[in-house]
This record gives sequence, C-alpha cells and structure tokens, in this order.
Amino acid sequence: MLTMRHSLTGAAGAAALMFGVTLGGFSSAAAQPIDYGTLPVDPNAITDSTAWVATAPVLNPQGQPGVTAVYTHRDGSREVTDTILVLNDPQGAMSALTQGRAGLGADVVNAATQPAPVGTDGMIATGTSADNTQSVAVLTFVEGNTFTTIEFEGPLNDPAPIDLVTEYGKMQAGAIAAALSA
Amino acid sequence: MRKLVMSAAATAMLLGSLGNAGIANAGQATLPTPQDQLVRTQPKDPSAQLLDCYGTTGNMGCGPGWFWRDGWRGWACYPC
Repeated sequence: MLTMRHSLTGAAGAAALMFGVTLGGFSSAAAQPIDYGTLPVDPNAITDSTAWVATAPVLNPQGQPGVTAVYTHRDGSREVTDTILVLNDPQGAMSALTQGRAGLGADVVNAATQPAPVGTDGMIATGTSADNTQSVAVLTFVEGNTFTTIEFEGPLNDPAPIDLVTEYGKMQAGAIAAALSA
Repeated sequence: MRKLVMSAAATAMLLGSLGNAGIANAGQATLPTPQDQLVRTQPKDPSAQLLDCYGTTGNMGCGPGWFWRDGWRGWACYPC
C-alpha cells in the first residue's frame, strides 16, 4: 500500500518536476502565501463520520510545491491519499496531468477509465493494485495551476464507490479554487 | 287461455327454481369430505420475504438488500 502510494506520488511529482523545470522553475509557486497544508479535504467532511484518521500532511512532496495528505480508515482496511501539486501556471498543470496519467498504468492494473465532472479534465481510473491484493481508484484533475491525484485503496471486494470519489473530488477542487482565489 | 298457459308456465318455473335451491341447500348441509376441502381452499397470493445480507429483515433500519457496516462512508447502510 505504502509502496504504491509513494510510487504514484513520485510519478506525479516527477512529471510536475519535468514540466516545472521546462517552464522555468518553481520560484513563483514557492513564494505563494498559500498554506498548502490546508488544501487537502478531510474525507470525514463528505462522509459525515469519524471514520477517517489523518496523518500529518507532507509539504512539498518529491521537492515539488504542494502537499500530500494520507487518510486511513479506522479499521485499517482503506486509505485515501490526496496529492496536490502546484505548478507555475495552468498549462504546466495540464502537462503534469498528462505525464502523471501516463505513469498510472504500472500501478493500476486492468485499469478502466471514465471521465469525472471534477475540475478540468477530471478522470477516474479504477482497477487493482499491482499485486492484485487491493482495489484502486485514482482521480486526477487540474484546478487552476494545480494538478491533483487522489488515490483510494481498499479491499478487492469493496472498491471505492464512484459517487464518493466524485463527491470528494468536487469538494477538493472547490477548496483549491477557493484557496487560489483568496 | 293464453293467460292460463302463461300462469302455468310461470308457476312451473318458480317451482323448478325452488326445487333446485332445495337440492343445493341439501348438498351444503352435508358434512364436507376432505376432498371437498381441498377443492375449496384458495391458494395464497405469491409473496416474498425480502431479507438483508444476513438473512434478516435489516439492522439499524437499513431494510432489505442493505446492511449496516463500517465502510467508505463510515458506519452506514450499504448494499449487499
């Protein structure tokens, strides 16, 4: 589980890093006053429960401006990993999105994709983990100059409901948009 | 003459119907045999008792086809 989370985050980060360098570095993004640690949405907000336990958010994952937050279900059977990368501009975010999705294939086996009404160019990829022991759903989208990857891992016989994934994504996109416009 | 014939015919019909009624009543007065009871029993309309995943009618008000567990949305009713 952790291996997959890190690899997905790493792929997204590497993609963002490549395009960030191409666009001229991260100095402007790093100078933004936004506290990235406040960007991730707690899954408890959409489930009206206390089922999810948050770990401390990791700022600037893989050296890329942004944040990664991990939420674990209290019974340990499920995990939500929310990674928000901040690029220099929307074009850079879209490029990072393309590269990030290209790297998902190795981590989401037998992936099926479907569009999601979340942010810009939202998409959900569902499948199983590389070792075929867990269900995986990955939502990716762009909001402004950010590229977000939200991964839902759970039991094979109980994958994350698409409506929950979409609902969570919409709330996350809204939180990002609000932070960017503040 | 015609009135006489009509009256006689009407009387005959009346007596005939009363006679049949008497036969019918006589039949009902007899004790029914087991075979008669089988014929007269009306079958119930088909019905199904919907059950939840555990074979009961539901926990926490979830109802048929749902069950209560701790899932993606925390403790809630989830489909089987």
